[in-house]
Amino acid sequence: MADNRRHAAVLGLTFLLLLLLPQLATALSKPDLLTLGSQIAIYAIAAASLDLLIGYAGMSSFGHAGFFGLGGYVVGILAFHAADNSLFLGIVPGLTDAWLVWPIAIAVTALAALAIGALSLRTSGVSFIMMTLAFAEMLYFLFVSLKTYGGDDGLGFRRRNALPWIAPRDDVAFYYVCLAVLAIFLIAMRHLVQSRFGMVLQGLRQNERRMAAIGVAPYRVRLAAFTIASAGAGLAGALNANLLRYVSPDSLHWTMSGDLMVMVVLGGAGSLYGAVLGAAAFVGLQSVLAQWTEHWMIAMGPILVCTVLVARRGIWGLLAGRR
Amino acid sequence: MTALLQVRGLTKRFGGLLASGGLDLDVHQGEIHALIGPNGAGKTTAIGQLAGEIRPDAGTIRFDGQEIGHLPVHRRVALGLTRSFQVTSILPAFTALENLMLVHLVREGHPFRFLRSARQDLGLQRQARDSLAGLGLLARADIPAEDLAHGEQRQLELAMALATGAKLLLLDEPMAGLGPTESLAMTEILRRLKRQLTILLVEHDMDAVFALADRVTVLVSGQVIASGPPDAIRADPAVREAYLGAEAG
Ligand SMILES: Nc1ncnc2c1ncn2[C@@H]1O[C@H](COP(=O)(O)OP(=O)(O)O)[C@@H](O)[C@H]1O
Ligand SMILES: [Mg+2]
Repeated sequence: MADNRRHAAVLGLTFLLLLLLPQLATALSKPDLLTLGSQIAIYAIAAASLDLLIGYAGMSSFGHAGFFGLGGYVVGILAFHAADNSLFLGIVPGLTDAWLVWPIAIAVTALAALAIGALSLRTSGVSFIMMTLAFAEMLYFLFVSLKTYGGDDGLGFRRRNALPWIAPRDDVAFYYVCLAVLAIFLIAMRHLVQSRFGMVLQGLRQNERRMAAIGVAPYRVRLAAFTIASAGAGLAGALNANLLRYVSPDSLHWTMSGDLMVMVVLGGAGSLYGAVLGAAAFVGLQSVLAQWTEHWMIAMGPILVCTVLVARRGIWGLLAGRR
Repeated sequence: MTALLQVRGLTKRFGGLLASGGLDLDVHQGEIHALIGPNGAGKTTAIGQLAGEIRPDAGTIRFDGQEIGHLPVHRRVALGLTRSFQVTSILPAFTALENLMLVHLVREGHPFRFLRSARQDLGLQRQARDSLAGLGLLARADIPAEDLAHGEQRQLELAMALATGAKLLLLDEPMAGLGPTESLAMTEILRRLKRQLTILLVEHDMDAVFALADRVTVLVSGQVIASGPPDAIRADPAVREAYLGAEAG
């Protein structure tokens, strides 16, 4: 009971802080805080979706950035064709409305994940990690080679996707959109991990043989989880492209997958909400350390090691206690 | 009368080792059929093939009038065949109650429900409690399975196998690691189950085997050397020589 109240307190305070971030940024006259805040909300979505795999299903995907970047490219490519009135593959017209583009980004990512997962999940353990990594690298090189869409340099576009009632240049409004999407996403994920499906998933993490012996087909359940989690990454990627008005192959590089894993572990794997804290810690540290040295990852490493040693359940475990 | 489980020519090699050398086995409805033999005789390997975890090199497995040799584990469970493991196999991080709720929700056939909370599902909780009560574990419902005593864990695993609604249980040494009192309790539990279902029992505890079994099959080095009623097996000179001799003294 006391634990539950502590959970609610930590969660409530975190969201209160995020809600008031724009006012804080104005008060401190640090407008950069707003961009950092949007970045945190977006990474938190991606990290929470990865936590479904790592923390709940026990599937260590090392290709999550592949789906994050793919979602971003859907936004970028549709904006590109909308800008010059051309057709994607000669059939699909460009689009800029968020209510169309974002669901398309989710659907495209989910389909890619279904195909990639169907093959990767024939393996397990280290082979599964390598398979997901390899597929993400293939996506990376695919986008590097697409010169029409900027190749190595990436693809910029002028306007964010249009949302009803929201001015495209309003950064504060866009921040609140990201925060709202994060909140909805976390609520949906909370329901998911407590549902029948979520219980089966956690059972598979603990003991696959036992689960098969009570009648579960592990492959189908894992494929569904992989698809859902990857679609979450695609949604985050679509938001990220909107934040930056730019996508590049960097967003699906394996180092990005590594960053997302770091966020999950920092926040506390298997805690879902920890993803928000992990993303905040990561983005915060990165921006502080980057002022100090461009090799900020050198300092990030020891900090990560210390966090894991001090708090095995990550920052969420430290603040909110067990489970 | 045709057998509930009919195994013919079951063969499995591990490299040069013949773990199942063309096994024939009939398990009839309602009986407890014991499969005994020294360590390394191939008992666990046989169970693994019947449950669908290990692919046999040759042979047929008919269950309830249907060839099942090609079916994956979960399809065999749906038909009414499941197993327990020699080394206790439960979900350690879940409570005893959650372990059984999981079995019942899978049995109901809705593992793909994404939104409604499963833990709060009163129907599932009630079924799980009934299952725990059946093995006298109700008082331990809210204890994480990893914190249960070894004997309780063995009972929990048996409760899970039962809750699948199995017609045939393949039990791989259910008494393994149990003390004398716990073994007697487990023997009593299995005796009570006898009326409801059919059991293929792999067991080293000869007191339990001869107290429970209607038929005994003796496996040595992947070969069946004898099969028949307990009294005949006890008297069989080949069996005494190969196996019972050492233990029965
Ligand atoms: N996966 C495996 N690979 C190679 N050899 C195995 C494997 N599983 C079992 N064996 C061998 O097969 C024989 C039968 O093992 P097992 O079925 O476990 O015997 P039992 O359960 O009767 O003690 C043993 O010699 C064992 O070492
Ligand atoms: Mg064995």
